[in-house]
Amino acid sequence: MFNPFEDFKEFLSKARTLPLDRLSADHDQIMAELTSGYGKLVEQELKSLVWFVEHNRVIEAYKTATEVVKDLSYDAHSIEDFCYVLDSGVDIPYLISGPAGIYVAALCNHVAEEKIVLRLGEMKRTLHFLGYRLPYGKSLRIEGDTGNFTGSALQGGDITVTGATGDWTGAGMTEGKISIHKNCGRNTGEWMQGGEIWVGSRIRGLGRITSGQIYQAGEAITGDALL
Amino acid sequence: MAQMNKHQKNPEPLEDLEELLKRLWPEVRRRHLYPEIPLPRFDDSPSPVAMEIRNKQIILNLDYISTMTRSLPAETVLEALLDHGVSHYTCCPWDLSTHLRLYARAKEILGDRDLARKATDLFMDVVADTHAVKERQSSLPELYRNGAQTPMEEVIFSLYEKIWGLDLGSKGDQETANRLVTIPYLDKRRWMMSLARFIRGIRPLLEDDNGSIPDEQTRMGKHGFQQYAPEEIEQALREFAREAGSPEQFAEVFEDLQSELEIPVQNTSEGMGHGAGNPVDANRLYYMKLAENYALPLLKIPMKGSGYLHPHSHRPWEVCQPFKDLDPWSSFGKFLPGITQIWERREGQIYGRKEKTPDCLVIIDSSGSMVDPRSHLSYAVLGGGCAADGYLRHDARVAVYNFSDAPAGGKEYLPFTRSRSLIYQVLCRYFGGGTALDLEEVTSVAQESEADIFLITDMQITNLDQTVSRFARLKNRVTAVHVGKKSGALRFIKASVKNQNISVFGVNETNDIPRIVLGSVRSYLAYE
Repeated sequence: MFNPFEDFKEFLSKARTLPLDRLSADHDQIMAELTSGYGKLVEQELKSLVWFVEHNRVIEAYKTATEVVKDLSYDAHSIEDFCYVLDSGVDIPYLISGPAGIYVAALCNHVAEEKIVLRLGEMKRTLHFLGYRLPYGKSLRIEGDTGNFTGSALQGGDITVTGATGDWTGAGMTEGKISIHKNCGRNTGEWMQGGEIWVGSRIRGLGRITSGQIYQAGEAITGDALL
Repeated sequence: MAQMNKHQKNPEPLEDLEELLKRLWPEVRRRHLYPEIPLPRFDDSPSPVAMEIRNKQIILNLDYISTMTRSLPAETVLEALLDHGVSHYTCCPWDLSTHLRLYARAKEILGDRDLARKATDLFMDVVADTHAVKERQSSLPELYRNGAQTPMEEVIFSLYEKIWGLDLGSKGDQETANRLVTIPYLDKRRWMMSLARFIRGIRPLLEDDNGSIPDEQTRMGKHGFQQYAPEEIEQALREFAREAGSPEQFAEVFEDLQSELEIPVQNTSEGMGHGAGNPVDANRLYYMKLAENYALPLLKIPMKGSGYLHPHSHRPWEVCQPFKDLDPWSSFGKFLPGITQIWERREGQIYGRKEKTPDCLVIIDSSGSMVDPRSHLSYAVLGGGCAADGYLRHDARVAVYNFSDAPAGGKEYLPFTRSRSLIYQVLCRYFGGGTALDLEEVTSVAQESEADIFLITDMQITNLDQTVSRFARLKNRVTAVHVGKKSGALRFIKASVKNQNISVFGVNETNDIPRIVLGSVRSYLAYE
């Protein structure tokens, strides 16, 4: 009798093992570790229900974030992917923009690469504190907009933002350069002690600048000369 | 393009290639687990791309194959191309629904039709190729080892080198390729997220390429939407309408692809048909397809006893029973208890006033307090559409009365029809402005036709009390649906409690729509 399945009898599907299998599994593992690290920071920071931006609070949060990230193994691309994980809200217990930004800043400051590019243009919300304490020798390019305190306490790093930044840009920076292609908000350069801030378009307001220089559309400016 | 060298040979003649294709095709199908696609064919039109797929058939470009077979065995070239084409059918995009979702996501990110098309095609190529290499022992790497033609191909081949673990001799931008290597291409559940990561990686290159490179940015060519059957298009649009974030997103994607998709159009006088007709209004199509996901139950007019007894069956006659029902023809001419047969009579069943589902008058509120169906999902239009579909499915006719401030002229009336297209056209009309019903007009239509009434509104009607009292006096079955929980809804519910011919439902979210039962009149008072 004719067996209609005869053709299928000898067929065995042999799947090849590709490097992709390992690469994507490793990436998932890194994302899980970064998420877990962020969870630890949030746990530490959420002892009170509201997270205030206070000098000591920020320093403490950054210290905790540094402790968390120093043992992690990741690269610059993972940081960008993690930002989108934060934005999606999946697998993330709470997205608190302040601690989240400080955590991302700690990741940038401790990653092996010196040049970091974060394409954040498609994120639904902006992160604060990006580029916080970026050290000398590192460059951070952010494609998209950022929130408040971008490049605050900058320590010699080079930050480029292709979009706009929020308030308190470069607050307390000591050295380094921040270039913003579009606008920036109020209190720009508050307590700035050195370095340069270059803004391509409008500055909503300047802070009390101790030292350093702010440029608007290529021209050095002071508080009463805003466009 | 492959360069000629001393190892190059003359291309195979067409007859030999056709013979080779017939020999290779069963083997390729076997490796891909016997997909149901027809034998591929050759096309000799000059084109820089290797293949295209139309109506499920792979069309191989003879020009490209001739070039490639100068440096590679024809068998390798054909197998590689077939693997690529079949993988699009068996793996990615698999169906039009997935293809549409991928394109919609790309469009959402990139905001440009051409860029979105290119990004989607590239992503689908990477997935299909990787699937073929991993699962089907494909010879695609041999084909790609032959040299990239564009910067984009350089990057993609660099990516292949890294994720396949093979040397393809590529010199593409490593930074870009490194961004792409960790994407889980073969995990179908994560394709939307993977596509977003893929686009982030290639975006600068994609935007650079846009001005200089024509549609065929890769050797495998662009993946048009002509490859899908009309049935697939209908199903995919239905699914996409359900998944689209808003009517605007649906309309945007639909308008981009309308020229390529063989959209099933609705004739004005007949049912659904197929064929490239006039451009279809995207908003109308969105609600038509979305409504097809819901089938509202429709209660028909109940049957009742006719009062007439008819001879139903025989049973033996007994002495105490009357003679009038005796059946001499079945009793062998004898009058004996137990032998003589008597007719058993039963009451007949007839329909009420009508023997079919009544027609329906859909009254839809499109005043300013209602959602604009063009920009946001309108539950009123969706609910009205579902109701209309419910009646049309039972061969009944539907009339639509779309109103805002009807006495002031803010109304559109569509007389009874079976044209789904016209019905949705009137349903999708948005007036804005005040809210008042022209009760004389509505009730006269309802009384003349004896149709069911389906009213959908947020109940913020100026003459709501008169509306309730007028509807209560009608004999028609009234299904009233209030969208949202405004104060008028409660007033309407309270006022209609005593009226047996009115059923009230609330819709606050899409999931509430299937709970509507059309014509569910308590006790069917109107027909008793």
